[in-house]
Amino acid sequence: MSWNESAAAQTHPMIAVPSHDELVEQLFVRDLKLHVMQVIEPAQRKIADHVLAGSDARSSNNPLGDLRDAMAPLESFKSWLGIKRESQRQLWAAVGSSVERQAEQLEELGTIADPLGSVTLDPDFVVPDYVAQGDIHLMPGGNGFDDGSILQGAVMDRGGAVYMLGRNGGMLNDLRGQTAMAHLLTFAPDIAPSRILDMGCGIGTSTVPAAVAFPDAEVHGIDVGASMLRYAHARAEHLGARVHFTQASAEHTPYPDGHFDVVYSCVVLHETSPEAMLNVLAESKRLLRPGGIAIHLEVPLIHTMGDHWEEFTSELEAQFNNEPNWRGALTADYRAEMESLGFADVKLGYQSTATDARSSAKVFKETSDGVFRSWFVASGRA
Amino acid sequence: MTRIPLPRTPNRLDPIPGRAAADEQTLGMIMGLLSEITVLRARQDACERLLASAGLLPPGAVDSFDPDPAARAEREALRKRSIAKVLRPMQELAQHELASLTTETET
Repeated sequence: MSWNESAAAQTHPMIAVPSHDELVEQLFVRDLKLHVMQVIEPAQRKIADHVLAGSDARSSNNPLGDLRDAMAPLESFKSWLGIKRESQRQLWAAVGSSVERQAEQLEELGTIADPLGSVTLDPDFVVPDYVAQGDIHLMPGGNGFDDGSILQGAVMDRGGAVYMLGRNGGMLNDLRGQTAMAHLLTFAPDIAPSRILDMGCGIGTSTVPAAVAFPDAEVHGIDVGASMLRYAHARAEHLGARVHFTQASAEHTPYPDGHFDVVYSCVVLHETSPEAMLNVLAESKRLLRPGGIAIHLEVPLIHTMGDHWEEFTSELEAQFNNEPNWRGALTADYRAEMESLGFADVKLGYQSTATDARSSAKVFKETSDGVFRSWFVASGRA
Repeated sequence: MTRIPLPRTPNRLDPIPGRAAADEQTLGMIMGLLSEITVLRARQDACERLLASAGLLPPGAVDSFDPDPAARAEREALRKRSIAKVLRPMQELAQHELASLTTETET
């Protein structure tokens, strides 16, 4: 599952392949991130535990604020935040240079002569505020960036795989899509959908698994960034997947009511806003035929609410790594929201990570197995 | 065709409360250097292994390398140059402070 210096671990047909030096540079970023996480961060956690043990958390109106106030002046806390962010900036710098070096080859690979699927861009599309106001994950230019090329998509693909430390399906980075489809097959093992929509598909890492699991279905993916979508299309074609990509907001899509049998999103809601995520849930209901299934997959951290350190680090991540709706997505009452939209059979829980939607074990339960091992899922039937 | 470079600076970098911008700069530069050193070391390692597998560099040859006097002198000069280069700002500040103290005493 992890990636290393072996050539086989580096590639799918479309991904920007690093030179020797670029690969070491990227592995350096991965190892730097692991070092920060495993060696530097534990001391901060111990400091937080110490602070929390010394204060009467139960009598405080704002234990999280108290923790922040106690830690903020500490030099080691500030330098930890600094190096965490710097590691993220190193990631994009390393990947950006590698992608730019091979711009011509990538553009050539991106020209598909006889495509299975399609890409439809909207020249008048306005990127939503929550994407425009801060570059998500500090990716320079942001998800909405468009220079007329596929390069930002190439940066996101390679960068995403490095960002996930290779633990999300290596360079395919597709385990969230596989897991969403595994959730579908857990509760509808015989489903044969005609149309499937992936909302906020990015570069299609979560969309291709739908096309693979359901080769007869018409699979669509929407997102806000033109460069990302051009790349997503090329990437899917090179993987032999028939997907139709369209530039649209998941809040208001161009499809008619009841157009899809399955609508899903993977780690999209926490990159929106509290209002927008409700619009996305509502749109997923509108787009489903009666009996159709919506699946919204999110980071498996919801169970940590109540752990002040986890909550605090989540807030720091949201603030310093630009995750605009982290708190909203992790604290939403999904059952109430989905039931009020008219969803039936609402299920909330954790789907064990599937490497292959069809053949992997299908386990859905109330507790999380932890990050990378399971994903939070809220699903319902229209 | 001249390509417009991809952006390198993300939109929205919230300041870390209480942390000087200069500290962020220094950290960014040190991490950049660490990245460069890591790449260089890997590249050197690749060269040594390739030379060894081509039979041009017997195992342990680098570690048991015994430079002759001329090589020793050149290598010593390289080391001194590196140290002076990296520690230049400290030396400059010390010289500056020394100069201002000396001037104060003299006046």
